[in-house]
Amino acid sequence: MQEAELHDLSDDADYAASQLQGSVYMTRSDSTKTSSTTEPEGAEVVYLKDNVTIHPTQFASERISGRLKLIKQGSSLLIMNWIPYKGQNSNARLSEKDRNLYTIRGVSFTDVRSIRRHTPTLGWQYIIVVMSSGLAFPPLYFYSGGVKEFLATVKQHVFLVRSAEDANVFLVNDFENPLQRTLSSLELPRAVSVANVPLPSTSTPLGELPPNENQDAGDGSRSSSSSLYNGRTRQKVHDPARDISIQVLEKFSLVTRFARETTSQLFRESLNNGFAVANERRAHGLSPVNSSHKLVHEAEKAPEEVPVAPDPIEFDKLTLVWGQPRQAPLGLEEWATYLDSEGRVMDSKALRKRIFYGGVDHHLRKPVWAFLLGYHAYDSTDAERDYLKRVKKTEYETIKRQWQSVSAEQAKRFTKFRERKGLIEKDVVRTDRSISFYEGDDNVNVHLLRDILLTYSFYNFDLGYCQGMSDLLSPILFVMEDESESFWCFVALMERLGPNFNRDQNGMHSQLFALSKLVELLDSPLHNYFKQNDCLNYFFCFRWLLIQFKREFEYGRVMRLWEVLWTHYLSEHLHLYVCVAILKRYRNRIMGEQMDFDTLLKFINGLSGGIDLDAILRDAEALCICAGENGAACIPPGTPPSLPIENGLLYAQQDDEVL
Amino acid sequence: MASRRRMLLKVIILGDSGVGKTSLMNQYVNKKFSNQYKATIGADFLTKEVQFEDRLFTLQIWDTAGQERFQSLGVAFYRGADCCVLVYDVNVMKSFENLNHWREEFLIQASPSDPENFPFVVLGNKVDIDGGNSRVVSEKKAKAWCASKGNIPYFETSAKEGFNVEAAFQCIAKNALKNEPEEEIYLPDTIDVAGGQQQRSSGCEC
Ligand SMILES: Nc1nc2c(ncn2[C@@H]2O[C@H](COP(=O)(O)OP(=O)(O)O)[C@@H](O)[C@H]2O)c(=O)[nH]1
Ligand SMILES: [Mg+2]
Repeated sequence: MQEAELHDLSDDADYAASQLQGSVYMTRSDSTKTSSTTEPEGAEVVYLKDNVTIHPTQFASERISGRLKLIKQGSSLLIMNWIPYKGQNSNARLSEKDRNLYTIRGVSFTDVRSIRRHTPTLGWQYIIVVMSSGLAFPPLYFYSGGVKEFLATVKQHVFLVRSAEDANVFLVNDFENPLQRTLSSLELPRAVSVANVPLPSTSTPLGELPPNENQDAGDGSRSSSSSLYNGRTRQKVHDPARDISIQVLEKFSLVTRFARETTSQLFRESLNNGFAVANERRAHGLSPVNSSHKLVHEAEKAPEEVPVAPDPIEFDKLTLVWGQPRQAPLGLEEWATYLDSEGRVMDSKALRKRIFYGGVDHHLRKPVWAFLLGYHAYDSTDAERDYLKRVKKTEYETIKRQWQSVSAEQAKRFTKFRERKGLIEKDVVRTDRSISFYEGDDNVNVHLLRDILLTYSFYNFDLGYCQGMSDLLSPILFVMEDESESFWCFVALMERLGPNFNRDQNGMHSQLFALSKLVELLDSPLHNYFKQNDCLNYFFCFRWLLIQFKREFEYGRVMRLWEVLWTHYLSEHLHLYVCVAILKRYRNRIMGEQMDFDTLLKFINGLSGGIDLDAILRDAEALCICAGENGAACIPPGTPPSLPIENGLLYAQQDDEVL
Repeated sequence: MASRRRMLLKVIILGDSGVGKTSLMNQYVNKKFSNQYKATIGADFLTKEVQFEDRLFTLQIWDTAGQERFQSLGVAFYRGADCCVLVYDVNVMKSFENLNHWREEFLIQASPSDPENFPFVVLGNKVDIDGGNSRVVSEKKAKAWCASKGNIPYFETSAKEGFNVEAAFQCIAKNALKNEPEEEIYLPDTIDVAGGQQQRSSGCEC
């Protein structure tokens, strides 16, 4: 069933027609059983949903899926259970202990204060259940939908009202008068206490709680509450700088005590600075470009600038603390030290770390990329790789012959083939022709690009050819200088990036979704700005993501960036932090000049060629470390370039749980 | 803001990949043709000031990726369009056959208030190739299609040689201008709105 959606065999034109009927986004069909099931003790299951999932760690691939149930007991008691599935872990790292830790069992709605619903335009919906105690459970992601239904069911059994403050907050058993409710039960200390200061997210109190924010170590009052989060918003504070730094630091649970103290200080300094400047400006009606900001050129064009909310994570300072200076690329001699006598990479993690911080010398890229891309295994020997190379060459030739042997007569009756070939031929002649390697008429490497792409479109006929692929292949062929080797490296890359080109665009949608969550986490004023200006679809980052910034840097820099990304050293999704880093670099300009969607798109497209890669990589590293688990929780499992989730995992594990 | 909106005319160029959308746009705006344009990824636009009888407008020309797979992006890019340009390659039959698809796709995604009368302009591009000897879609056939869709103005162009590009975009701008709701436009008396509407059915005099 799924196959038909994910690998539509129809060709583009046919598909486009079917697209008119609306597209399917990340369907993971499974059973939705809401019919009442009989429970022991006269309890009745009034709601049941499978594949409700939490993301407990920094690895997006690590998730705990389970079954969510609402059980009615007696005439008025409504109980919520969420029981993780047993066995069949998505990842071995998740222990039984984690499973027990996160289990939600027998939570009565008399103890629930509110339910916050997140309904992103892209990606999975989730809810955060906040208890009367102020603690909150980690976000429950509804992989198979059903949030609306969940709320509807709750509403049938308990008194549920929508908050007047925020349409996505539903208050449980809240009988106070509406006015009081808006002020008290939502707890808006930030909004109240600092109303005169341009704090981030003053307008959306609970809404700005990022997933897993506020992890509360101190509150041990509930025995089973290790999985609970403190959902209560902050104490009333009078020092806005302190408030922000705490808020930011709480988000970053990975920050060590030492780092906390250091940054706390840094934040205070920078924020005090920022506020002083902002206030002064307001007093004098000056343009509010933060003078302490590095981006000097931002000041040069200031037609209708408006006050910009300060960056909650001051960047230059942050990079000082975390982002390491870039190192020299890995060279030949050093490379040899990573290999044993038979050519195995002894410590792949150390190697990846080394490359993460410095990249690879160009003439070393050929062997190293094959490892990074996953074409060669790190523990393979020279001899094994030589052998593989030969086997793979034959295999490549076989696939290539499939299209080579299509005769002109046959092609006449083979529209899909003709169209695909035509599309590829049109694109290879528009790919990197200014690089000498691809320059000039009748360039042999351009022909190779065509042959490899056409062969790939036979190797993966379902995916076929899609624009952007030639951009991804070009540097690979440039480095590998061998047709078959390039092909297999490209295949390895497409194992991860294939979903970018899916007909339903699900890989792109989940990345855009994750990006919006990360910006929300790491720069909520910017997020709010995008929200207000109808930019939350993040389509202006589409090109960045589709082809991994291929068009944003000059050729050599692209290769450097790619090898750093491919190490997957700090995160499989460093590229998303690269996006955030770039956006943050230009945030003041974006908000100060009040860019609308069109202007922003034009601006972002125009950044091509003008971004300082090393600086951005340092920023991205710092952001990735800071965001930690909370950042990872923003990224839905299976988001490229993660290897795809095997479908089986989500289905087979339903019936072995206890109530 | 309101005045800016009045001044801005948004035009979307659609058509199969490789028919010459990017080249046409660059030829019109920058008076340049290059064999080295890259395939468009995502979307981009160029702007050009155009003058109509003493009044200046900004023509914002949107160029999007031609592959059908990317059409889900259309919603974000097509909205607020004032005119849609459909381009095909006179040497590629399929690109002509797909015009209908592109037109419908646009109407669905942009959902203009008055789809019946939304202004389109069709361009048959690359007429320079092989001195016209390799063309497979005749002018007659193209014009017949345009007539059947409510007299869509039709031009034959060459982005490479700059042939007819200026004239085509003049017509495009004119049609975009007509699409603006009248109450929103501060037209100086010298512009004859009614006259413009008459011209429409006659194929924009061009
Ligand atoms: N001979 C000729 N080639 C053209 C013309 N317009 C575009 N091309 C070429 O056709 C290819 C695709 O053009 P491009 O503008 O990128 O098409 P798009 O995909 O529709 O944007 C490029 O190689 C152009 O150089 C034209 O009028 N005449
Ligand atoms: Mg183009």
